Amino acid sequence: MNIKIRNTLGEITGASIAMIWMYSNLTNVVNMTIESISKVLAQGIGISIILIIALHIILNILSSIITGQYEKDIDDERDKIFELYALQVSSAIFGISIVATLVLLGWFNLTISAGLIAITFSGFIASIVSLLLKIYLYR
Amino acid sequence: MIKKKIHIENAVRKLRFNNNEMTQQELAELVGVSRQTVVAIEKYKYTPSLDLAFKIALAFDMEIQEVFFIKQ
Repeated sequence: MNIKIRNTLGEITGASIAMIWMYSNLTNVVNMTIESISKVLAQGIGISIILIIALHIILNILSSIITGQYEKDIDDERDKIFELYALQVSSAIFGISIVATLVLLGWFNLTISAGLIAITFSGFIASIVSLLLKIYLYR
Repeated sequence: MIKKKIHIENAVRKLRFNNNEMTQQELAELVGVSRQTVVAIEKYKYTPSLDLAFKIALAFDMEIQEVFFIKQ
């Protein structure tokens, strides 16, 4: 497994764990205030960032111990093209989900809290899908 | 206008072996890309930019058309 796939897997794992953590803290969403929901979502985003950084470090240390050599993570033109593909996919998913959420808020009586959760989760899902695309391209 | 899709092939793998069996890592460091990119170029999975193609040709001290060519 090369360093690109390893780092991408770390990012998927970090985002997934943060999503699960947020989901587990939003089970009683009907009785929660918008402030408490916002706190959970903000903490979830923070957790995902910290987890992604920590997983990058841990996975690279483990890889260096197992293989006995340090692998540099060089970003070249091919990586930039893949980043662009991933960005296009994540923007499309996030854009569609924002429009869908606004439609639900405007015409189908979706609550503001549910809309906030839907937008945050769609951001995470868009990120995970784009990372999966990167793994497919790097395979 | 040329609408036909062209398939660009290369002789990078052969040239590496002819250059004291240069490793993919050594070539990658010479031209400033990752080893994975060199692997992808050798397998024709990725066509490099003109800039990178020139760098690779220069690494082998050859003309670009001797390294990258269109499959007839």
